[in-house]
Order: sequence, then structure tokens, then C-alpha cells
Amino acid sequence: MTPADIPLKPPATPVASSESAVTTADVERVERALIDASTRLPVLMFYSSALVWLLIGTALAGFTSFKLHAPDWLSDCSFLTWGRVRPAHMNVMVFGWASMAGIGTAIWLMARLSRTTLRHPLLLVAAGAFWNLGVLLGVGGILAGDSTGYEWLEMPPYAAAVLFIAYTLVVSWAVLMFRFRRGEHIYITQWYLLGAFLWFPWMYGVAQIMLFVVPVQGVMQAAVTWWFANNLLFLWFGAIGLGTAYYMIPKVIGRPVYSYHLAAIGFWTYAFFASWTGMQRLVDGPFPAWMITASIAATILTIIPVATVGLNHHMTMRGYFGLLRYSPTLRFTVFGAIAYTVFSLFGVLISLRSVARFLHFTQASVGYSHLGLYAFFTMVMFGSMYYIVPRLVGREWRYASLIKLHFWSSAYGVGLMVLMLVVGGVTQGANMDNASMAFSESTESILPYLRGRSLSGMLLTVSHVVFAYHFGLMLLGLGRTASVPTFLNPQDEEGFEPHS
Amino acid sequence: MNEHVPGPERRVRQGMDYGETEEVGKVHAAIQREKIEPRVGLEPLSLWLIGVYGLAIFFGGAYLGRYSGNFSGDGLDPMGGAPHPVKAGAAGPGGAQAAELSPADRGKKIFSANCATCHQVSGLGVAGQYPPLAGSEYVNGGTKRLGMILLKGLQGPLTVKGAQFGSAVMQPWDKTLTDAKIGDVLTYIRQEWGNKGGPVSPEGIAALRKELASHPDSFVESDLKAVPDDANLPGGDASAPPKPGEAAKPGTPPQPSPPPKL
Amino acid sequence: MKGITALFLGIFGTFAFSWTGLLLIPNYQIGHLEPQMDEEGNDAYPAPKSGMADRGRRVYAANGCVYCHTQQARPDYLASDIERKWGERRSAPRDYLFERPVLLGKMRMGPDLSNIGKRAPVEDENAPPPASVASPAAALGSAPAGTPAPSPADTKPGAPSPAPPAGVTPPAAPPTSPAPANPSAGLGNPPGAASPSPTPAAGSSSPASIAVVAASPAATLPNAPVTPTTANTAATAASSADSLTAPSGEPIPYSAAWHHRHLYSPRSVVQDSNMPGYRFLYAKRTIGSEPAADALRLTKNDTPPEGTEIVPTYDAKCLVAYLMSLDQSHALKEVKATAPAAPPAPGKGTK
Repeated sequence: MTPADIPLKPPATPVASSESAVTTADVERVERALIDASTRLPVLMFYSSALVWLLIGTALAGFTSFKLHAPDWLSDCSFLTWGRVRPAHMNVMVFGWASMAGIGTAIWLMARLSRTTLRHPLLLVAAGAFWNLGVLLGVGGILAGDSTGYEWLEMPPYAAAVLFIAYTLVVSWAVLMFRFRRGEHIYITQWYLLGAFLWFPWMYGVAQIMLFVVPVQGVMQAAVTWWFANNLLFLWFGAIGLGTAYYMIPKVIGRPVYSYHLAAIGFWTYAFFASWTGMQRLVDGPFPAWMITASIAATILTIIPVATVGLNHHMTMRGYFGLLRYSPTLRFTVFGAIAYTVFSLFGVLISLRSVARFLHFTQASVGYSHLGLYAFFTMVMFGSMYYIVPRLVGREWRYASLIKLHFWSSAYGVGLMVLMLVVGGVTQGANMDNASMAFSESTESILPYLRGRSLSGMLLTVSHVVFAYHFGLMLLGLGRTASVPTFLNPQDEEGFEPHS
Repeated sequence: MNEHVPGPERRVRQGMDYGETEEVGKVHAAIQREKIEPRVGLEPLSLWLIGVYGLAIFFGGAYLGRYSGNFSGDGLDPMGGAPHPVKAGAAGPGGAQAAELSPADRGKKIFSANCATCHQVSGLGVAGQYPPLAGSEYVNGGTKRLGMILLKGLQGPLTVKGAQFGSAVMQPWDKTLTDAKIGDVLTYIRQEWGNKGGPVSPEGIAALRKELASHPDSFVESDLKAVPDDANLPGGDASAPPKPGEAAKPGTPPQPSPPPKL
Repeated sequence: MKGITALFLGIFGTFAFSWTGLLLIPNYQIGHLEPQMDEEGNDAYPAPKSGMADRGRRVYAANGCVYCHTQQARPDYLASDIERKWGERRSAPRDYLFERPVLLGKMRMGPDLSNIGKRAPVEDENAPPPASVASPAAALGSAPAGTPAPSPADTKPGAPSPAPPAGVTPPAAPPTSPAPANPSAGLGNPPGAASPSPTPAAGSSSPASIAVVAASPAATLPNAPVTPTTANTAATAASSADSLTAPSGEPIPYSAAWHHRHLYSPRSVVQDSNMPGYRFLYAKRTIGSEPAADALRLTKNDTPPEGTEIVPTYDAKCLVAYLMSLDQSHALKEVKATAPAAPPAPGKGTK
């Protein structure tokens, strides 16, 4: 299927219309149907792999969390020791779940927005298989004791190489789709996706090369690591997440994004400032002060894109907040967009030197990462899956109650988790800074909060299992066949025309 | 396993979705009812947002200026540039690196690196082999003999504190250690273990080194005996080290050189 | 369509800017440091780690120690790391010259380890010049048992006491060991001291008094402020001569024996530790003709069944060798001196 195959004119043999009069809207519908059909296999493949990884990652997270306050639990087994399970959990979540879900969504969005079908989808399926293989090798390597020791880059180089091959395939396809796009307009989402697809190989390649091929000296390795980690968070996950939100919100409510200018300013300041963050995670460490200060200043400056994007989304949503009651997509996406603002502002707060004195080296930074990767990115991904999957399998989500359960257990779970980690981190940091208290008191003081965190983890486990089950039903074709989407609540008001 | 989820069964459904059997409106319901692809409005920036930009830029810039550490690679301290050596007064001849350490401190390091193997960290030596330094008359006496031993080494039997030593050889250190180091280590051993000797200046060692430049071999006990036991190096026991200009001039009348060769 | 070139250039440009600014320029500034030497090219610091310690770093990385332990001391005016005796000065880039991977760490569920080797009882070479008193300890330091290498010999019960003329001067005052000579141990001390083990020997876990015992066990045993339940576990005379075992049988904090026991059973030496045990780094085996020299001395319910013993694997030994090699006490010219808490000799603080 080539772009030329997509009928711009009324199709010779009407597919979607039984009427003789074929409107532009009908043509666009056919076009969308063709695009969705072409992306079906790879996107569903990435999604289902991502969900399997999500479940695995959740299990590993449970280990990680429980072992923190029950250190002797299952510690006699080398591959279950805390120090291996934790990076395994993180890598599964980052590369298995979040990246695969993000790629799935990004492929679909790119195809839709470029108005071009995905050609040779089987090659993308192969890319997905390679990606899974890479994560499997990497996580297996970590558990087997082959971790590189660099945070966020623990996967041994052989796994990273496999991931890179997979990624090259993905990015080639995405860029090819963009290259063959139709229509004059490049929508905001495409900026972000294009950025994400081009930044990721750069940051990943640079990190791999500067750490393993031509290793840099001493502390520069840590600088490379955190430069990579923060850029992964902001310019890979952040860009995909924001791009998705920029699509889903106006799409679902059927209204244009508030302002192009805001979007442009938001995007470019984001690319410019967010890429400079990262070194604030090394605050007061053995580095020239200016590096760290530059990152802190950049973090402060990310207020600009955050305020801009936040305002843009808010103004787009204005008057339509009632739809949050019905549309699962909108609810998850808006939750994610709000969490993005909180995440960024919290990032500004904890980066300041005066605050970092108390929060550096504490669990608060774990809370920060979860705020970004879960409350923001994962929730946006859930939202996009609620939108995209019915279009791929031709069925509607089966149970509104499961969606609601999923949303509330996720929202409360991640809220509780972040709260526990941040409050606990403040306690821990204050005690750690007070040299008249024994160090062990600082770790003791956070234990109750860590137990609370384990509790929140159970909520998240419920949420993930529910969603995976629901997704499984959809895959098996057990969704509803209906012409109306699955709303969270029955439509009891006139006037709204929610579209999921 | 996850690769297999979208297995053959889904292909079947793919066919079904586009087959003519189903009612098209129904399978494509999601697409049918879908709203148009998102567009972008053109609302202008609001003033207060520009205010937020200004504030962020102001604080970011101020922060960068305040904690820049002068953008120097050595500026670990966010408040200022590269550190200045504190306590400049303590800066000895060792220069910047050793500014923090007194000669005896430096000597201790040199001692543990070079001397402690034989003479032991305790300075007690090993009976019959390596003479003690603690309480040794050579160490506590004049500095000249010490300098000779260190620069050129010592061999053959030797009596220290009434005990005989002889089976081991002290290597010459003139090729290995600088004047400053020899001075430091001598200063150290003369203050350590209850010894009561004064400091030894590098200048004195430098002078002695010149003096002994042509001396090829290690000394033996008789060479040392030839030197009065209170003979000092220039500036050696003096309470204040000589000014650099005087370094070459002997502070005490030079003793006759030891026999050049035995 | 407009601005497609601008879009690409912008995407590349912003990122190239960040890459240059945060990685390339700093790499130019601090990425090619040389070890610091004195003016003669001696006394190089830092030095590459020895084979075992180097391998130990891999073990450290593989088992994720870095997720709970940092290896960086922050400056005293910005944090209390120095006050906690985790270091005597802030860490600097040069300290990590040969570290690969560099394990700075991001989380402190456990104490900082940047100077853990320095805190070992016998590794005293770089301690502030303690005048004559510390020389026995220092002498011990140069003895074979005290090498920073892990030295199963450290725990060898029957090993000839390294006592050089150690007994020479029975220390009247506590030697200035790296740990503060502050018997009111508790606060601000490393956790080992902060939470004394609940044995009757608790009083002796003040590092100072332990160091006395370590310095010349034979000479000071009578002075040790301990009700001598001498070596209740390995109740042999030999063990009391063991340089690294306090009379109670408890290993001295941060000695190799202590590390092994701490790794095997953390809460048996640090009561409120939150660390998991790393028993998979240790092997249980049947005692042969005589107990292995490096077998762990365990108490209570850690004690292996009769006829068996717990010995460290090679990885465990490497890990401990690595820990014992962690020491940033050497003065660096780029780091300002920090006033030491307990002023040692005339020497300045940063060592």
C-alpha cells in the first residue's frame, strides 16, 4: 500500500459509503481506516509486548519495594538480591513498558498525522521482536550479574546493541512515514514525535559510545549517565507524552488546540532547556560547579515550556472539562498532562541547591522519577491506548467498570506512592543532614513511608492486572461491537457529544 | 511470548473487519464517529505568560551567575572560582601541592614509602640487620652524617646504640629522592620516636650533594667516624632555615671531605 | 510544510548545543586529568586499583550496591557529610580518575562509602600524624596483615600476630585512628559505632578503644575496657591475638573480617541495618582437617551447623578488597582544606 493508493478522490468502489453522494468526510474516514489497518499489526504487537513487560516490571517493583523494608526476604538468591532486582525493574519499565508503549503510540500517531499508511508493517514487527529480545537480554543480564553499573544504562552492551538495531528500524519507519506525509500541515504532535525519534538514537548512541566504546574518564561517566537519563526522561518520554497529549485532547473534544504560538514556544523552549537538565542530579558532587548550576538554571527555565504547554492544554480544554466524566482517553490524558506540570515544577524545586541539600540522596528523587514516568507518561500512554486499541481491533472496550477501576487504582496508587516517597524523602533528608543524629536514624525514619509505598504498589498492581486483562479481551476480539464508545459513565446529559 | 499475542487469529479478524459480511458502519464505528484531526488555533500570547517567561529567565540567569564557579573546570565550589591554597604561610618549599603539609608530614609519607621496609614504621629497625632510627646517635647528632648516608648509602658493619649491625646495605638515595625530600624525611626521623633533632633544610642537602658529587661509592662506618658527630649541614639545626641565597654557603665551617674512596 | 528544514535544524541544533555544553566542554575541562603527584613525580594519587579491588568493583556494580551507597562526600558548607566523618574533604573529579564504572551513587539508604577503606582500623598510613603514640598502629599498618588487600590472613586465627615490636610502647592514649577518639560514640559516628552491637562488649565498639586493642592486642588486653568474655565464639588464645578481632569476638568495624561478616549477616554487626545479606557470595562447606583460615566467625543463629563453616568466595574477597581500597583522604590541590573536627597534629586537615 503506497500513499498513492489512498484515495484522495472518491473511491471507485465505495467502501464506506452506501450512499451515492461521497463527501470529503467519507474519504477521510476511508483513509483513516486504511491507515489504522496498516498500523494494526505492529502497534498491537508493541502494545501487547509493553503490557507483558508492565506486568513483569510490576512484579519486580513489588520485590524492590518489599525488600527495602524487609531486607532479608529472598535475599539468598543472587538474582533476587535487591541490588539486581531494582535495576531490572527500572529497565523493564523504561525500555520494556514505557518505550514500547510509546513507540506503539508514536507509530500510530505518525501514520495518522502524516496521512500515510505504514508500509511493510512486518518489518516493524521484526523491530518489535528485536526490541523484546534486547530488553530480555538486558534484564536477564542484569539479573545474572552483568550490570554495567551505570544507572539507567545498566543493560550490558550486547543488549544495548540489539535494542539499537530495533530502534534503527523503528526510527527509519517513522521518518519514512514523515517523509511521505501528505498535506501541507505539520501538526504539533509531529514536531514532538520527530524530535523524540531523532533525539533518542543520539542520546543512546552517545551514552553507549562515551561509556563503552571510547570510555570517558572518571566522573565524566556519571555526567554522561545523567545527561542520558534526564534526556531520556524529557526528550524521549516527555516528547512522546506531550505529543500524544497534544493529539488526544483536541481530538477527543473536537476542538482546535488553543494557540499555535504557545505550542511553538512551548516546543522550542522545551527542546532547548530540557535538554540542558540532568546535571542537577549530581549536585554538590565532584564536578565543576558550573555544570550543575547550568542544569539547575535550565531546570528553572523549563518553567517556560511547562507554563506554556500547560496553558495551551488548559485553554483547549476550557469548557469541556465535563467530558472527563465520560471519556477514558481524556481522563487519563488530562491526568497525565496535569501530572506533567506537577512533575516539572517539582523538578525545579528539588533541583535548587538549597532544597537539594535535604532531598539529594533520598527517596524523593525516586518519587520524582515516578511522577514523570508514571503519573505523566504512563497515564498518557494508557489514555492513548484507550483511544487507539478500539480502532485497531474493531471492538469497543468491554467493561466501563474495569476502566474506572483501572483509572482510580492507578491515580490513587501513583499519588500515594509519590506522596510517600516525597514526604519520606524529606524526613530522611532532614535527618541525614542533621549530623547529631545517627545515620541509621535517617533510614529508619523512612521505613514507615516505604511500607506505605508498598501499599501503593499493590494498588498499581491491581490497576495493571485489570488493564492487561481488559486489553487481552480486546485482543481476543471479545470487545463490544457497538457504534458508541465505552463511556466511563452513562450519558445522562444532553448537549455533550463525547467521542472517545 | 509477547510476540505471539498478535497471532494468526488476529489476521483472521483483520480479514473479517474488512470483509463484506459485517456491517461497515458498525466495525468502523470508532472511525465513523471520530472527530476531525486536530488543528491549531492562533490565539496570541497573554501578557502574564510573558511575565512568567521574564521571571523564569531572570531567576535562571541569576542562579547561573550566582553559582557559576566562574565556569572553571577547577571550580568545584559553586560560590567562587578555583580554590586558593589556604594558609599560605604553611606553604613550604614543596610548593602548591604540599602546601597543606609540614615538612615532617611530608617526610612521614616519604618514610613510609621508602624507608619503613627496613627501618620499620616504628623506627626500631631489625636487630642485627637494620639499625634503629629511634634514639640513634647518628639520627640525633649532627645532620651532615645523615645527609651523607642518605645521599650515598652505607655498607658494611655499623654500631648503633651499642649494637652491631652489618649484614645489610643501605642504598644511595641521591638518584631517587630530591633534596627537598631528603630534607623532609630527615626532618621527620629527627622528630619522630622521641628523637630530638632539629629540621634539615633542602638547601643543606643540595650543598652536600654538590660536595659529594664525585663520591662514587657508599660510605662505610669509618667514613662516618671521620666526620664529627655534631657536624651539621648548612642551615641544618638552625632554628630558622637559611634564606635561599645563603643556601650554598655552609652555615658551619665545612668539615674536610670524607676520603673520596676507601 | 513551511519550516521543515527549520524543524530538523532546530531538533539537531538544540540537542547538539546540550551535548556540547554538558558533555564535550566538561570533558575538555575535567576529562583528561592526570594523577596528582608531588613536585618530584612521586606519591601519585590516585592510583589504579589492584586486580582484586578492580574485580571487586565489578562485583559492587553487579550487585547494585550503588543504589544504596554513594561514593561522594559533599563539601562541609553544603551538607553534613564531612561532619558525619564520611570524608575529610569533599570529593573531586580527580579522585575518580581510574574508576570505571564510576559509582558515585544517587541514593543513601546506607552510608557513604567514599572513605570506607580509610576507616579500617589498621590502614593507618595516611592518618593525621599522630605523634609517637600511633606508631604501633602504624607499624601494624605496614605489616603484611594490614595491606589494603582483603587478606584472608586478617582473620587467620593461628596467624602469627603481626606484632612487629608492637608492644614497644603500650599506648597510653588512644592512637589517633581515623575514627574520632570520642568514646561517647553514638551520634555522628559511622553506623558501626553509632549502633553498638548488643554484646557485653558494647563499650568497646568505640572505635578508639578498639583501635587500641588492634594496635597491640597482647599488650593492651588487660587495659581493654571490656569484661573479657574473651573470644566467646572462637575461644582460642590465638584469636585474642588476632589483630582484627576484639576480645569479645566481634570484628572491629571496617576491618576485612567485619566487612565479610557484615555482608553475610548485616544485622549481626549493625543492629538496625537495612542492608540485605549477600549470602550468595559465601560458600558453606564441611570443615576439613582444620577450619579454613578465612572462615567467618558467626554468632547466634548465623552459626553454621556443626562441622561446616562459611567461607567467602573469590567475589566476596574481591568486593571486600574493593571496599578496603576506597580512600579519598589524600590531599588534592584543587580542594580547599576542611577544618578537621578533631585537629590532629600541625598538619592541615585535608589529607
